Amino acid sequence: MLASRALVRGLQSGFWRRVSTSSAAWVAHTHDVDVVDCSVPQYNNRLDTPLPDVPFVRNLSVEQKKLKENEKGSWTQLTKEEKLALYRLTHELSYAEMRQGSKEWMTVLGGVFIFLGFTGLLVWWQRVYVYGDVPHTLSQESVAQQTQRMIDMRVNPVHGFSNKWDYEKKQWK
Amino acid sequence: MAHPTQLGFQDAASPVMEELLHFHDHALMIVFLISTLVLYIIIAMVSTKLTNKYILDSQEIEIVWTILPAVILVLIALPSLRILYLMDEINDPHLTIKAMGHQWYWSYEYTDYEDLGFDSYMVPTQDLAPGQFRLLETDHRMVVPMESPIRILVSAEDVLHSWAVPSLGMKMDAVPGRLNQTAFIASRPGLFYGQCSEICGANHSFMPIVVEAVPLEHFENWSSLMLEDA
Repeated sequence: MLASRALVRGLQSGFWRRVSTSSAAWVAHTHDVDVVDCSVPQYNNRLDTPLPDVPFVRNLSVEQKKLKENEKGSWTQLTKEEKLALYRLTHELSYAEMRQGSKEWMTVLGGVFIFLGFTGLLVWWQRVYVYGDVPHTLSQESVAQQTQRMIDMRVNPVHGFSNKWDYEKKQWK
Repeated sequence: MAHPTQLGFQDAASPVMEELLHFHDHALMIVFLISTLVLYIIIAMVSTKLTNKYILDSQEIEIVWTILPAVILVLIALPSLRILYLMDEINDPHLTIKAMGHQWYWSYEYTDYEDLGFDSYMVPTQDLAPGQFRLLETDHRMVVPMESPIRILVSAEDVLHSWAVPSLGMKMDAVPGRLNQTAFIASRPGLFYGQCSEICGANHSFMPIVVEAVPLEHFENWSSLMLEDA
């Protein structure tokens, strides 16, 4: 019994958890992060907060401090790389990076199709091996006789069935 | 009757059903308009490139989307109530028929002038004649004169049943110990099929109703023949 429990735990931690968790949730859960203190302002990557409460890089190195000094001057004199470096000091991700999705949808769609296909196989097997014969009224001859009777008795003559039959030419319109 | 794979209503065979069809068109149009608007809004919200999406306060739009639904509901309610009262009108019927539900067949009693009563059992599938419809045909049909107001009194002898004929726009529960009244006028001659519409046991699906609307002379001939046979 202990062996089977060990087996179940092994399967859970080694296999099932990874398979049953979406990539985004997995990354969020297992990513190595420091303990987060939610009672102070946090950095966040959100489309609707262009300027988060705190900058991304809190502890500047010497070079980064020099860059910040340059920022106090005229911005037209900053090079493109400096501007990009300043952006990356205050923001972790750009808008384009935040908006890009993952490729997870392909896995999900593939899984859906696999299961749909499998269900189709089950349904087909059931039709062949479990169901009995259909009633005789579904034979072509019987259906033709019923259709003729429906036309004769003017079933749904206004917009429906008999409306589509041309009674003069004796054919469907 | 419905043709195979039919999704919509059958053509009306009585004036009340015509009214119901028109009302359904009206209500469904409103439903489609609202659904299209909601679908458009959902797609717009999901695909927007705007970043600030969360407006928390606006009096004008709140007023609009409170008043407008109330107006739409009134526009639905007025025709609905009109038809409801139309169906209840006193209509001075020419004939009264009692439809009694049993497990698992209907019996019809025409007791206005003579004592005519008969049972109406479903024709089993193996006994169907060529061209007959499976699970819909009965051995005796409820024959009525066309273009005459007919009153139907529906009741049951054992458990709950329900007497329903969609093309006449009729459905009335058959409750043991209770008489429910409904009425119709068959606008055109023909056979109108229906099925029991309240679960009543093993053969609930196998107790159909067939109304045969014929000109008055044919009805008189039929009732004489039925009385002779009885």
